[in-house]
Amino acid sequence: MMDSGNKNEMTNSAAPAFSDNAAHTRLTCRGDLTAFLMQLSAAIGGDSYMLLALVHDQTRLNARIVASNWIFDAIELVGQRLIATLAQDPLNTAPGTRPRPLVAAQAPQTGGLVSGEEAKMLSVLGHAELYSLRLNVGRQRLFLLFSAAEPGSLDATALAWAQMQCCYALSQIPELLAEASMQDPLSDRERECLFWVSEGKTTDETALILGVSSNTVNGYITHAIQKLSASNRAMAIATAIRSGII
Amino acid sequence: MQAREARQSAEALFNQNRSPFGAFSLGSETHHAVTIPDAVRRCRWIAVDLNASGFGLFFVSPSMERARLVPCFDSDYPGVSVSSKFMSGSNGEDMVRHARVSTSPRWWADGGAPGPEATFRDLLWTERTAPMVPGSSGIAFPVHAERGQCGLVVFLGDEMALSQEAVYETHARCYALFRAVARIRPGEAGRTGIISKRELECLKLAANGHTSEDIARLLKLSVHTANQYLTQTTQKLNAVNRTQAVAKALRLGLIE
Repeated sequence: MMDSGNKNEMTNSAAPAFSDNAAHTRLTCRGDLTAFLMQLSAAIGGDSYMLLALVHDQTRLNARIVASNWIFDAIELVGQRLIATLAQDPLNTAPGTRPRPLVAAQAPQTGGLVSGEEAKMLSVLGHAELYSLRLNVGRQRLFLLFSAAEPGSLDATALAWAQMQCCYALSQIPELLAEASMQDPLSDRERECLFWVSEGKTTDETALILGVSSNTVNGYITHAIQKLSASNRAMAIATAIRSGII
Repeated sequence: MQAREARQSAEALFNQNRSPFGAFSLGSETHHAVTIPDAVRRCRWIAVDLNASGFGLFFVSPSMERARLVPCFDSDYPGVSVSSKFMSGSNGEDMVRHARVSTSPRWWADGGAPGPEATFRDLLWTERTAPMVPGSSGIAFPVHAERGQCGLVVFLGDEMALSQEAVYETHARCYALFRAVARIRPGEAGRTGIISKRELECLKLAANGHTSEDIARLLKLSVHTANQYLTQTTQKLNAVNRTQAVAKALRLGLIE
């Protein structure tokens, strides 16, 4: 039985030298991304990975999977909702914090969102130990789930390094991510208008700032509201800020 | 001299195995309020580990119109170093564009000495860029916090030492530092009055696209009261209208 206190103790020597044999430090296409994530997952002692973005749909956050080697049935059984929950869990790991497992067979749940039953289901599906890492690619936010069937096989120090490597790797393929997460459907002009509205400017003031007529400004904002599937200006602003567009 | 003192106090404070996530990852960032002098000290520890002679933390303005770096503090705190003045000038514009879309560290070597270039050249995942400060060498780490806040932590020096693992570690520490600074950044957050639970509920519903009538019905209030709550919140947040109040509350993290 592994003692949870021991497990949290970190040693510097634990970091495996996967940077030495990193064949994929230049990513250009989807295939590179898959190869990179496979290699990284193996290097930290994990079995599965899932890279996902959270997108706003009306008032709910949905998970949009960018890349994953979870078996299809597992995704079906676990469901979109729980996957989105795993990403948002307060126990998830921001860059620069000590990685904490969301699902671990031995450790009792401490403030996480995953219920005992859900943890059991994940465990049966081969995710007995699961970490949720927050990734920042510029201002874009993504989430990476690393998991292993055998509890205790993932190395926390290696995870922290892997987290930074993923941020770097994904920075090289912004267009691939934008396409996958469809985070920014707005045109430059629409975004500009929305920004000024969020600063409290009225339509007329925005028109003056941008040097166009107020009808044009209203048109841009209406389009932006439609594209963000919002019901009014306040909601469009909220959606845009939440997804990091403005 | 100062750096060595800081180092000693750091070691005394965290008398244990050095954490790979930096000396301040022991849950401290969520539990203890941090001040700017604290943050400067933290940043100095990182600089000492890299053998850097200077450092600086900058904010990237959320407005697309403004492409300049805004200095928060640097190694001359409470003053402002000459390097920071260079970086917050037009030299920083390219870096601002970079930090908005990428997390890759960028380095430059313009000191004339071969050392820095030899150190940085072999690092994976990093890019070379034009010198941010003429005649210097340094490395800049883009950092991001909740609510789309974006910044840059820069280390300068002609004798910096940086291994591949140290890139990951340093960058992770910079992230933790920036998140702490972003939370306490003087300005808006400190000056807002206390917003009541009821007012926040109204604001949350407004952010989700509900009209005053909807809010009144959902919270079992009169339309007048719902409007009054929203007007009060707008005033407390120093906003001019409801839309700006929603934007400000989201950016400050008052609502999700």
